[in-house]
Amino acid sequence: MTTTALEHELKQMIIETLELEDVTPDDIDPEEPLFVEGLGLDSIDALELGLALQKRYGITLESEAESSRQHFANLKSLAALVESRRQK
Amino acid sequence: MTFRRLGDRPWRDRPQADAIAWVPPRGDTPSRWLTVGEWHGRIGAWQQWLLETPNESDGWRLFEPDPVEFSAALVAIWERGDRVVLPADNQPKTLSALHGTGVALGPAEPMLGSYGSQSPPDRAPQWDSRPLPTVAVSLYTSGSSGEPQRLDKRFDQLDAELATQASLWPLAGRLVVSQVSHQHIYGLLFSILRPLCENSPFATQPCRYPETLHTWLQHCRTNGHRMILVSASPALSRLPEALDWKPASAALETIYSSGAPLSRSASDLVHERLGTPVHEVYGSSETGGIAWRVQQRESAWTALPGVEVSHGDDNRLWLRSRHLEIPDQWQRQADLIALTDRGFELLGRADRIVKIGGKRISLTAMDRALSRLPGVERAQTLTLQRRDLRLAAIVQLSPSEVPHDHRQHRDTVKRLRRALAAHFETPVLPRYWRFVAPWPTNAQGKLGAEIRQRLFLDLEDRRAPRWLGERVHDSGWRVTLEVPEHCAYVDGHFDGQPVLPGIALVHWAMQQARRLFALTSDFDGLERLRFPQPLLPGDRFEMSLEHRRGDGAESLRLECDSWRGKHVSGRIALVDRQERES
Repeated sequence: MTTTALEHELKQMIIETLELEDVTPDDIDPEEPLFVEGLGLDSIDALELGLALQKRYGITLESEAESSRQHFANLKSLAALVESRRQK
Repeated sequence: MTFRRLGDRPWRDRPQADAIAWVPPRGDTPSRWLTVGEWHGRIGAWQQWLLETPNESDGWRLFEPDPVEFSAALVAIWERGDRVVLPADNQPKTLSALHGTGVALGPAEPMLGSYGSQSPPDRAPQWDSRPLPTVAVSLYTSGSSGEPQRLDKRFDQLDAELATQASLWPLAGRLVVSQVSHQHIYGLLFSILRPLCENSPFATQPCRYPETLHTWLQHCRTNGHRMILVSASPALSRLPEALDWKPASAALETIYSSGAPLSRSASDLVHERLGTPVHEVYGSSETGGIAWRVQQRESAWTALPGVEVSHGDDNRLWLRSRHLEIPDQWQRQADLIALTDRGFELLGRADRIVKIGGKRISLTAMDRALSRLPGVERAQTLTLQRRDLRLAAIVQLSPSEVPHDHRQHRDTVKRLRRALAAHFETPVLPRYWRFVAPWPTNAQGKLGAEIRQRLFLDLEDRRAPRWLGERVHDSGWRVTLEVPEHCAYVDGHFDGQPVLPGIALVHWAMQQARRLFALTSDFDGLERLRFPQPLLPGDRFEMSLEHRRGDGAESLRLECDSWRGKHVSGRIALVDRQERES
């Protein structure tokens, strides 16, 4: 399993934005679910993650919100979203 | 005003071609109106479904996220003269606690939002002369004891409240879009029952994300619809600035927020971005609506018409309200208020009920659930003002369960959160964990505010260790500490194992000694101090400190041990401040 620089950056962003005090980048498995099971993120985190992505990468999530939240499934899908849609 | 009471069954005789709901656009499919006729077909379908479903009681437990199906089921149950039981959420423990309150209705997998292939086919509804039930809905909420508390609402209570809202803020045919659950009283009243009683259409889907809201607003603006937004603080305090709200928000008429007060700054931001002030409604499942405010006009709360507010010597709120079960009797509430000449201000609650992300939670219930988990000897939860408001847990584990390093700590937190997830929704689960040993208390034997602050000091100060307790040991003290994962002293190289530099331990030792021994002396060098192996982020360790003075020399004896062995051993030389200056 190789971790790309972008994946690492996203891990740091998740940890800092959501203040995951005891999580290190190594704890986030790129294939493991970010929400509920796995890392244990919740609906408030989803909102904050959306905000952070806009601030940092200029990504505006689609209005078809359900489908764009699928990008939040795990770190790999999140990285793919940033890769394809980043403005900065 | 077009308000009609629920007691008069306003759902029956509306023109079939009227719009009851708005189906938002999705992909290439344009939006459309759902007619009363179509909705009646759903009511008929539910009536048939209920007829065919064996039920020995008169109760139906309804958990249905789809607003159209929910409202159709509600009416179908009422038309039978039966009672609706509304679970607050669909957590397994919530649902099993309500076992025996009737037959469960709603999709087995709520995230799908509908019955899928099982959905009963449309039928013409049957209207007969059966009277409406005495109790319209039974809601369940966490009581102050932590046990779920049943709250019965009669039609006249709901009607009093709906009439008040209709007269204060008429919907006037505008489109009602909701970001909150109708399984709770606020969503039930504002996003389902008000539209039904005031002939205003509601959206057929909840509007969960800001991006959806943005698209719907744009759509409304283009098509000349006016929108009323039923929201709450979690969504309103996280509106992305990157979305261009300005042209779209012209379609927005009013915003409502309830569940938990909105901060002044969040309220100002919403006002600025959406161009509409937020009407906050204050109330609870027990009391119904109590008061309202628009912060840009007045920060104090104004009682709703028909609601009288007073307070006792202890600041407890006293209420006389048409929304209560006994309308003409003053009743004491758990809320603490201060009356001002312009209304009242909220001071918090006298019990341990808090709101996390708009979700109501009894800390007593959380403490109890946590204390019952295997390996937990004692637990206390509290709120931290971090990222709005989040729960933290102070937990004393049985000695064999205490985590000693990062891996064990993560596993323990995961195990405990997973066990709690059967009882509570994810956002209210504790986010910050302190595994104390022994239970930390002050001189009065209490885990007081000062100790609570010390336990979470590392969140404020990235250079501080995670303090977990201390006890007298030999002629000094033994302090239990953890190396925070994101400690500023930890070398954060991308590759390789980050470690805590030894000098950080010396620094921490001096800090603890100043507090424990009321030390006034300064650091004067290291004496035979050895660092056999470094501490790693997440390591738990014992710091033993002894203050020695004699023969004109002053020193601090320091030992740090973890389950992996010794990390520091030796002495720190101290010098009297005045001596040094002379």
